[in-house]
Amino acid sequence: MTGVPPKSNKSRSLLQRYAAAPHIVWSVLFIIVPLIFVAYYAFTDVSTGEFTFANIATFFTKDYLLIFGKSVKLAVIATVICLLLGYPIAYFMTTCKPKTQRILMILIMLPMWMNFLIRTYALMTLLQDTGIINTFLNSMGIDTIHIIGTEGAVVIGMVYDYLPYMILPIYSVMSKMDKSYVEAASDLGCNGFGVLRKVIFPLSLSGVISGITMVFVPSISTFYISQKLGGVDTLLIGDVIEQHYTAANYNMTASLSFVLMMILIVGLAIVNHYTDSDEGGGMLI
Amino acid sequence: MKRFSKFYIGLILFLLFAPILVMIFFSFNEGKSTAVFTGFSLRWYVELFKNGEILNALKNSLILAVCSSIIATVLGTAAALGIHHMKNKYVRQPLMTVTNIPIMNPEIITGISMMFLFVFVGGMLGLTTKLNFWTMLIAHVTFSLPYVILNVLPKFKQMPKALPEAAMDLGCTPLQSFFKVQLPAIMPGVVTGLIMSFTLSLDDFVISYFTSGTDFQTLPILIYSMTKKSVKPTIYALSTIVFVLILVLLLISNRERSTYERLEAKKIKAEKKRKDAIKQAKKSKQVSETDKIKKVRTSTNRGLPSHIKSAIALVCALAIIITFCVVLSVFSEKTVVLNVYNWGEYISDGSEGSLDVNTAFEDYYYQTYGTRVKVNYVTYTSNEDLYAKLSTGAVSYDIIVPSDYMIARLASEGLLQKLDFENIPNYEECITDDFRGLYYDPNNEYSVPYTYGMVGVIYDANVVDEEDTGDWDLLWNPKYSGNILQFNNARDAFGTSFYRLGLNVNTTDKQAWNSGLEELQKQKPLLKKLVMDEIFNMMESGEASIASYYAGDYLTMVDNQAANVDLQFYYPENTNLFVDEMCIPTCAQNKELAEEYINFMLSEEPAIANAEYICYASPNSLVYNNETYKEDMGEDAIEVLYPENFDFSEKYDSNCYKDLDTETKEYLNSLWEKFKTGVATDEEEQEEQPIWPALIVFVAAIVVVTVMIIVIQKKKIKRSKIS
Repeated sequence: MTGVPPKSNKSRSLLQRYAAAPHIVWSVLFIIVPLIFVAYYAFTDVSTGEFTFANIATFFTKDYLLIFGKSVKLAVIATVICLLLGYPIAYFMTTCKPKTQRILMILIMLPMWMNFLIRTYALMTLLQDTGIINTFLNSMGIDTIHIIGTEGAVVIGMVYDYLPYMILPIYSVMSKMDKSYVEAASDLGCNGFGVLRKVIFPLSLSGVISGITMVFVPSISTFYISQKLGGVDTLLIGDVIEQHYTAANYNMTASLSFVLMMILIVGLAIVNHYTDSDEGGGMLI
Repeated sequence: MKRFSKFYIGLILFLLFAPILVMIFFSFNEGKSTAVFTGFSLRWYVELFKNGEILNALKNSLILAVCSSIIATVLGTAAALGIHHMKNKYVRQPLMTVTNIPIMNPEIITGISMMFLFVFVGGMLGLTTKLNFWTMLIAHVTFSLPYVILNVLPKFKQMPKALPEAAMDLGCTPLQSFFKVQLPAIMPGVVTGLIMSFTLSLDDFVISYFTSGTDFQTLPILIYSMTKKSVKPTIYALSTIVFVLILVLLLISNRERSTYERLEAKKIKAEKKRKDAIKQAKKSKQVSETDKIKKVRTSTNRGLPSHIKSAIALVCALAIIITFCVVLSVFSEKTVVLNVYNWGEYISDGSEGSLDVNTAFEDYYYQTYGTRVKVNYVTYTSNEDLYAKLSTGAVSYDIIVPSDYMIARLASEGLLQKLDFENIPNYEECITDDFRGLYYDPNNEYSVPYTYGMVGVIYDANVVDEEDTGDWDLLWNPKYSGNILQFNNARDAFGTSFYRLGLNVNTTDKQAWNSGLEELQKQKPLLKKLVMDEIFNMMESGEASIASYYAGDYLTMVDNQAANVDLQFYYPENTNLFVDEMCIPTCAQNKELAEEYINFMLSEEPAIANAEYICYASPNSLVYNNETYKEDMGEDAIEVLYPENFDFSEKYDSNCYKDLDTETKEYLNSLWEKFKTGVATDEEEQEEQPIWPALIVFVAAIVVVTVMIIVIQKKKIKRSKIS
């Protein structure tokens, strides 16, 4: 047919060829090599420095499995709540005027600029038995709700800290979505819910997946939130890793990190695989 | 629907901003507390600008964020260019995976892994300071890089393929084609990447926590180290200022953008009008030449949107300012630096008219010796924190202030230097025999006491009956269920149950530790929360009514208590005693200067300033015999801090914490984990053996999943080939 030009980028310029080189070197030095160190420490003995499986095996004792189970449970709950809260808001945002959309974006990103330690601390003041919420409830004649010190408080902290990470990727995917699909679907007789289920949701799936990742990973590994908002029995896997670090037991620190990493890699690989997302499918913003 | 969506968006925004509003509200608190509001005042804003420590940390955070975001943006943009043009799938795919690792990996693991690398490499190179500004910079660049790449790469994809080629055909070199044609096209992605990496770096706590060294403390690290003592509203004041600044900046850039859009819309309208006019004119005569040129101009006049321009200008301006700061400080700081590593909030810092001890030392030294010194004051959260930093050999401090048992451990591991008391003449004069020859330093070689104190029971007299008080039983009294706080660290929590049972807190007998755990588990249903610094807010506001904590901190709480709270204090029969002492670690760079500093801290004025600021008891006779000090503190406080008829040395030996051997420590940690996870002790038979089957299942699962992925991949390839 028409003379389609042969793919001329076979002859890449020197710049194109080597532009990624510094990044490759950097990645190997500061991403791959450190992880090898983690693996090395994970499989060596504390005192003798010999090869051992003992550190890894510790993870699979009852105590640690319980801690890990609790971390997974809380992180999953937090992620689900973030999704339930964040998805509608991302959707509603796309229905606003462009100017309003921009202002909303700014407002949702703004809390991320504040230090999260401080935000968590302020959240504590808010949720206490004598805090603002409970004082308000009491003045309305409702009994005090104990929030601080429960697993619920930790979940609230995770949701609060990481909700923007859920909203932004979903919004960014949705705002690029072609609105004519929606119109076509309703023209073809789809009702409101059908449009959402059959058209909007599948199209925004890559955003949802990256949102879930961005919320789940920090939630499962947090230690500050559980320390500040948690109670007597909310020890999470992140806390344990941090405890071993401060006790200067690097082999245990490394082995717990290693196993956690393996589990997450496998989990995320599965998720990524089934969503078929092209590299960097749904990124933040 | 519209109304509901508006309501919903409003609600979520309210939830997101509620804690920030609380923060802003309490930054105007008159009192010291972040939980009890006593009145409006601007004092914390005034304090903020006097607080060198916070301002310095802020400066560090900004420098780090600007440097790391600029480096990450340059590297990342280049990488995106390279990746975009990469043909070989087997290089490209793994590279993208590796790039994504810092996003997918939990921060804690990234931080720990980098710490391992830096310590190892630093050890190989024989550096004394293995963690410093540069290691933090590397860490921050590493975790911001993927965000830049992920933002820039799609822009390359969206760019028409012919664009760079066209540029080259028209005579551009590859470099020119990149800067003149491609860069403007991908600019929005680059700017977003830059802003994101700046934000991430500024806010990062976890990775910095593991990779930060002595000389460079960022704001999040400083805030975290405040957790032993209470977080003060100064930090809230700082956050409020930052919040308002960012809000204003964002709104301005948004307004500019919308003005730009309005202008654009006007232009389009004008264009249309002119086109209509031209059309009409065409009917009569030819289009004039000038009009044509104008038309071409307006249609090609499509540079960067102004908001991006302003964002770039902003970042550049910031970069210039900060580079200037760095250059300035590099040139002006030809002075000797003394690195002091102390507990958070553990020195008189000049707030509220107190003496700024570190500045006073700098002045004193300059006046006496004519040399400028700079005290670099960095803080930590716990003895273990200090040990973790010291034992990696990653850092170099000149002065540290560990507690007794940690001194014993550091000394036995050869991490402390012997002091030259010739250089510390004040020691002879003001430290009495009570604080000499204690077990951790029997020959008085390594340490000079800084503060000491005891743990006691704090209770709210409005809630607790007088007859229930007096001993440790109060913390186990079911009457006050849900009102009791316990330490959130193993040693102190077990300590309370040991003192109650009358056991030796330094025992190596596992049975004793088990019985300690049993006691704690009995207490567990009565507890409200495990606390460290949160105790201040919770006790001051009446949130909880019973807790055990340090006497000095009780005095701080009393000062800030809410109107309906009446805090009282007593010492049970047996309780923990501690001494925190100044030491010089072996990694110290400047021993003589450090000794000079120690000597200065012992002299009257700084010692009193510290004692009044920290509120802990002072071992310095110049302090506790000083009448003004007694007056300032008040009679009640003196009674609490220096109880009468109290034989320190006798009590100390039996009740202090000593360094436990590794096995006991590990055992204690495992018990503590058990306590927190809630596994009952009576199921002991089950927990000895690691659950090997679980390990096997885990490995099997990995194998199965890998195989599955490979199989599915192959099927997919087949399918795509068929279609």
